[in-house]
Amino acid sequence: MIYYFLLLPLVLLLVVFQKSVLDLFFFGRIGVEISLILVIYAGFRMDTIRGAFLSFMVGFFMDCMMGSVSGLYTLLYVCIFFVSALVSLKVYAEGVILIMMFTFLCALSQGLFIVLFYKIIYDVNMFRNIIWVFLPQALVLSILSPVFFKMFDVFKGSLNDGNPRPAKRS
Amino acid sequence: MMFPKKYQSITVASLLILMALVMISYNIKLFSHTGFLRKLVLEATMPLVSLKNKSLKVLQENWNHYIFLIGLEEENKHLRKENALLSNQRVQYQENYLEAVRLQRMLELKEQMDVTAVAAEVIDRDQSAIIKTLLIKKGTSQGLRVGLPVLADRGIAGRITECSWHVSRVMLITDGNSNVDALIQGNRAHGILQGSGSEGCHLKYITKTEEVKVGDTVISSGIGGIFPKGIVLGIVKSVDKMDGGLFQKIGVSPSVNFDKLEEVLVLVFNSGEGK
Repeated sequence: MIYYFLLLPLVLLLVVFQKSVLDLFFFGRIGVEISLILVIYAGFRMDTIRGAFLSFMVGFFMDCMMGSVSGLYTLLYVCIFFVSALVSLKVYAEGVILIMMFTFLCALSQGLFIVLFYKIIYDVNMFRNIIWVFLPQALVLSILSPVFFKMFDVFKGSLNDGNPRPAKRS
Repeated sequence: MMFPKKYQSITVASLLILMALVMISYNIKLFSHTGFLRKLVLEATMPLVSLKNKSLKVLQENWNHYIFLIGLEEENKHLRKENALLSNQRVQYQENYLEAVRLQRMLELKEQMDVTAVAAEVIDRDQSAIIKTLLIKKGTSQGLRVGLPVLADRGIAGRITECSWHVSRVMLITDGNSNVDALIQGNRAHGILQGSGSEGCHLKYITKTEEVKVGDTVISSGIGGIFPKGIVLGIVKSVDKMDGGLFQKIGVSPSVNFDKLEEVLVLVFNSGEGK
């Protein structure tokens, strides 16, 4: 239960941090979505209930902070979490290359989904953004993902029993 | 557990996805309504966001005025400190002067329109590729509500889409969701100004028979009931008639520089009052 109480402020802090502080490094041109890496991490290394709850909350806070349609990021993050969980059941999800490639694919798919969503719902043509915004964003995220996986491992270890080893999926 | 472990993942996935879909459809249908949870999150993050902006401002000022002084020769130290102090004062005077000019312009705008106007400080901005919003430090406690128009010193900035007790979110006219009924000032051609994210805006539904030139001013038409008539929206930056369709492709550059926006004016109309 402590996990769920701790989770809300921590996730909110993470979203505020990534939205305000990290944006400065890229002058607001490229959003560094650590929250997406966190969701993929949850899919790879956490159990279903906790990971799904985490993804849902991260998505909801993203919706609130970004000012997007409520549920857009929530839906995306929950889907990405379950896809990651499925992938981790089929392949060895500890390899750096796999983590980078998977993060790249997820970030790009997310961008594509957002662009399609805006096209279908609001008839806004943003396809150019896929190349100029979402592709560099996906590249930056994929490069950063192994570092953040290590950080999340350490953090998770310190929250549990001091053991930084990833939890085994049941 | 209620469900066998075998079906646990599928059940949780279906439930959460269903919840997210319900949220999306509810939000698309009732876009003007800010949910209680969203209000709570906005209120909770406001101190953090304000703190971040203030710290950054202090950091920037320190960087500009003091960091460069480190490591200079000892004998010049005193003079340079004095110089920095004077420069700082000058910058502050300049800053106050610019603020006064901006507020003066907004006051003139307010006087032109017979409505109550609430000035608000911009505390954060979201300038991602598609979503273009601002957070302002006024909310329902100051009489603001969803749908009210927001002006800057150079023209229309956007409209309020979310309103918490002490903070509101403004959807800028460059946001992908933004549609404003507009006129070209010169030939009175009527169209819809739609946000295009980082590309600015584009004016839709202007037929090819209309003569539109680069540099023409685009103003609000007053139709739609949100923005008053005749406020500047932007300047035509490109016109393309080569496309196969019925309409021209008109690019519009917003008159407001959203990157440098520090204060805005929210026009508060009484319910039922015409604009």
